[in-house]
Amino acid sequence: MQGKQVDKSNIENALNQFLKDEQHLVLGFEKGKDGVNHGIFKKHVDKYSLLNPMFGINGALYFRRLFSKGTGIILMLRPCEIRAYNELVKLNQIEREDIIAVSIDCPGTVSLKQETDDIPAEVLQTAEYMQSSGKMRWACEVCREKRGVAGDAGIRIDKKGIFWAFSYTEKGETFLSLIEGDVKEAPAEMLISENKESGKFSTDMDEFSKDFSKCIMCKNCRDMCPVCYCIDCVFNGDEYLPKGDALINKIFRTGSSVMPQGKELFHMIRMFHVSQSCVGCGACEEACPQGIPLTKYFKGISERLQGMFSYMSGRSIDEEIPYLTFLEDELKDAED
Amino acid sequence: MSENKTENNPEIIGFACSFCTFKASEMAGSLRMKYPDGVKLIQVPCSSRVDPAFVIKAIFEGADGVFVAGCHPGDCHFIKGNYFTRRKIAALKEMFDAFSMKDKLRLFWVSAAEARRFVEKVTGMHNEIKEKKNAG
Repeated sequence: MQGKQVDKSNIENALNQFLKDEQHLVLGFEKGKDGVNHGIFKKHVDKYSLLNPMFGINGALYFRRLFSKGTGIILMLRPCEIRAYNELVKLNQIEREDIIAVSIDCPGTVSLKQETDDIPAEVLQTAEYMQSSGKMRWACEVCREKRGVAGDAGIRIDKKGIFWAFSYTEKGETFLSLIEGDVKEAPAEMLISENKESGKFSTDMDEFSKDFSKCIMCKNCRDMCPVCYCIDCVFNGDEYLPKGDALINKIFRTGSSVMPQGKELFHMIRMFHVSQSCVGCGACEEACPQGIPLTKYFKGISERLQGMFSYMSGRSIDEEIPYLTFLEDELKDAED
Repeated sequence: MSENKTENNPEIIGFACSFCTFKASEMAGSLRMKYPDGVKLIQVPCSSRVDPAFVIKAIFEGADGVFVAGCHPGDCHFIKGNYFTRRKIAALKEMFDAFSMKDKLRLFWVSAAEARRFVEKVTGMHNEIKEKKNAG
């Protein structure tokens, strides 16, 4: 594949050149006192970091209802964030005309809940650290697409730790043209390869109730989910929670004596609702104050449901979300 | 006593499209065909009106089974509503399968003229769920 060999200063120069225009912004990672965080840059990039080995929230959270016509924005984010961005574009939550989305290869991330002082800065060492230290988040371990292949352009890392910039669309070409240097043939093998699809996820209600018994219904998982974008969520208010007769009905009919708090309802409905758009980033699990293994369920279910329609969330901006389209001749065995 | 009663008679919630399945159920009534008491129909303007959230809510608030019934694919009053239903409900079934409770949800295609088919389908579902309930 044809690309440009880049390094940190190269990219910073390119971004600075882009930021010469008053109306341009760059959204990426900023080195701060306490680690790396999302940062927005105007005029010039300062304390810029290409990679972010810590995962707090998914950056796509910032883009909901981003109608940015006239403001050129370059997004320099992780693949999971760009994939969530793609999904939000498909759901009409973002106007993408002036946005250039650049996904950067991700060697894996460590949860912000963990001690993160000893992560090495050099990229090969970071990758090695992620593999060997056992601190990598589970969501990243099973992540299906850590390669920077989503969006308009991508920055990939080869086996020697050299960065390469590739463009995938016309807007990506614009980004590539900002970078100095010539286009040449990049090595075929990269540091980060595609992950295998994990087996079919399967569980039962007993396990589910056990895992979710700690849930306190704070709904943080919903608020921090990048693709859970509804302004008026059905769980705002108590309309969907069992109460009155439903409560008595539930106790008598299901034979369970557990106080129904609507946990199963909330999580199952949300699970179905995000099933086609879930990128498996694990932001819900990060946000959970009770440490419930949400990623296991949400990722497992969404992978299964996306598999039915050979769809993968955020893979491409042209693929339609399965629930919003149909084929006349399909699912012949859906009827019982 | 009440426990015994619920043991024997499962409660099934059915979402029925008002243009076909609900008409079929009315026809079944006028033809004096019998279907189980436990089947409660909810009339919806189109089977695609059924948000999977309704199904999940019905099940977690005590229904033993839920079915969604609409016109045969291609016969939708709103032209393509039931194609969307088919995708949504098939995916919901897959999700229930992952939670090992696939038998609780069914999808039927019943046209307005198929009163007999409606009664057969509903009775069949009721009996299967009843058997499972009383066995376990």
